Parts: sequence; C-alpha cells; structure tokens
Amino acid sequence: MTRAEVLLAYVAENHPRSVRGIEEARAVDPAAWDAVAEQFLGWAEGVWGPTGWQARCIDAFMRFSNDVIMSQARYEADGHYENSSFAECNEHVYSQRDVMDDYLWGVFITNFCWSHHMELSLFFRDRFLARLPGAPAIVEIAPGHGGWGVWALSNRPDARLQGFDISPSSIAIASSIAKAAGVSDRVTYTQRDALDLATMPAASADAVICSFLIEHLEDPGLLVANIANLMKPGARGYLAGAITAAQVDHIYLFKRESELVALCEAHGLRVTETLSVSPKRTLPKAKYLPRSMGLILERRDLREF
Amino acid sequence: MTTLEKLADVLCDVFEDDELVVTRTTSAREIAAWDSVMHVTLMISVERAFGLRFKSGNVAGLKNVGELADLVDRLKAGG
Repeated sequence: MTRAEVLLAYVAENHPRSVRGIEEARAVDPAAWDAVAEQFLGWAEGVWGPTGWQARCIDAFMRFSNDVIMSQARYEADGHYENSSFAECNEHVYSQRDVMDDYLWGVFITNFCWSHHMELSLFFRDRFLARLPGAPAIVEIAPGHGGWGVWALSNRPDARLQGFDISPSSIAIASSIAKAAGVSDRVTYTQRDALDLATMPAASADAVICSFLIEHLEDPGLLVANIANLMKPGARGYLAGAITAAQVDHIYLFKRESELVALCEAHGLRVTETLSVSPKRTLPKAKYLPRSMGLILERRDLREF
Repeated sequence: MTTLEKLADVLCDVFEDDELVVTRTTSAREIAAWDSVMHVTLMISVERAFGLRFKSGNVAGLKNVGELADLVDRLKAGG
C-alpha cells in the first residue's frame, strides 16, 4: 500500500465522518493528490516512523478540522472572530506547546486533505515554485509546520531557505520535516517574531513565502511591509491568507479578496496572480463563505499610478 | 425525558429525518449525512438544546451517540 492508501484506510476505519471531505480533496486532481499526499506523508513517516505517523498526524488533522468548523459555527452566530488580540491567542494557543504541536501537524495534513487547500497547493506548486529564479535565496516568514518551504527546497536543489517563526513548536517541527526530507543542510530556522524582520537586510531575498500568517496579526500591514522590504528587484513572493474563515487564533477579519490585494499594493507590491478557494461544503444556512486566498507577488520598482 | 431521548429529537431535527432510530450505538456509519460539517452542526444544536457549551477538543473524537450522551450528562453535572 502507498502511504496515501494507508491514510484513506485509516480514515475510513477511525474517522468515517471525514471520508467525504478527503474524497473531495482527492477529486480536485487524483494524480496530483496522490503525489502531494505521498510527499507530505513521506516526510511525516520520516519524523514519526512507519507505524507512528497515522495516529499522530491524521488524528491531529481530525481535531484541527473539527476546531476550525466549530470556530466557523461560532463566527456565524456571533458575527466576529472569537479572539481579537495576539495576547489572547498567545495565552490559549501559541504558548501551549502540546496545543501547538497538535495544531501544526493538523495544519500540515490540510495541505492536501482539505479540497480548497489542495487547490492552493497546486497553485503554489505551479505558479510559484515552478517560476522561481536560479539558485534562489528564500525567506519563509512563519513557516509553521515548514511544509511549504521544504517543498520548495525539495523541488529546487539549488535553493536555500531561512525561516523565522515565533513558536518553538514550529522551529522543532519544521526542522524535523526538513531533516526527513533530506534538506537540512540548506535551511536554517530561527525563533523570531515575523514583525521584527524590518531589521533584516533589505532586498536580500529572491523569494518570500508567507502562508497563513496574515490573518493572525493585529496589524497585517506591518507584515506586508516587511515582505516588500525583504524582496530583491525581480523577486517573487507567495502570500496566503484567510477570508471570513474563522479559527481560534484568527484575529484580523478580511471580508473580501480585494482587501488583501489592496494591502499588498499599498506597500509597494504588485499582485500578479491570485487564487481564491472555498470548501466544497459549508455549514447549513451559512452567511459567510470561508475562503483561502493565494497571491503571487512582485516588488513594484517603477513608480506607477 | 432522558438525555438519550432528547438527543434523538436533536438528531432527527438536524438530519431532517423523523424516522431516525437513535440508540447509544448510533454513529456516522449508519447516517450517511453525518459528515464532519454536520457533526459540528449537531454539536451546536446539542449545545442549544441542553444549554451547554462544548470545548472543541471534547467533541472531535466522539464515536457514537452514547459517548455524546455521557459527555452531556457529565457537563450537566458540572464535570
């Protein structure tokens, strides 16, 4: 059995409520799903061993998915996200090592087991990774589980990556995945607040990855300014964010795709491509459509009006 | 009305099926519409019916209606 087949069998046996969602994710592009799932699960197996990854990663994914849908249901009822400050999220999530470890392994699996995130993974692969410049110096801001950056390094043997995340769990998990993928010698992860990156050398990155951090911030403009500052002329950026999509630690409520585009444009970036995706199923009588959005960025060097 | 009887009413309402036979062993394996999204919809409906608020981590792993009934009883008792 392939690891993807093991995952499907494990879910059918232990989490029958989630079979439909994973079938929807595979239906996005079955051949691509098999390849992406095999890659991510191969890394998970490298970390947890041939019989350990199922319970650790898939169970975490089930808990995370349930948490997200519960948060969305509360958002539907209340009209606002549950938390509104970094301090609240830090208290309930970021400072809790066990909570964060489970959370990050759960998010890791969403990259191919949520249909809309599978669509975003293919967008990242085809519209960002496939078009990086030669020997790219990549900066990943808030790598979380690290899967996006490790994917870039696996895809591009000439690439190097620096990752910065405020969470010790992130540093540990991203490092373990990089080791499992055999790319440790080309990556450094440092525990550091993404909003303090303004002190880094300007125009030092050929590519910047920042996936699903922006909605976790009280001031997302500061993050986008840092991304723009890091990018060399001609560099490419990949930014992903959540729109009317609740999670226990989402605090900045983006309501429209144009808000993310305008924020990037206001900080000296050109948005060359976007993809906005949503789950195949929503809560009954939902008022809000939860979306995930990917943006391909370039630095705007010429004065434009 | 027992907790199980009250839960049966909630399930019939959520899954829009008045003929649903609900026992302690009833699970997503017997109800095709009981997917991950409807599970949360069911939990929110149970919260309203019993005047409770679940912690998300308590309901993700529930295997069947019996486990849900036990959880409701624990919370009602202040556990």
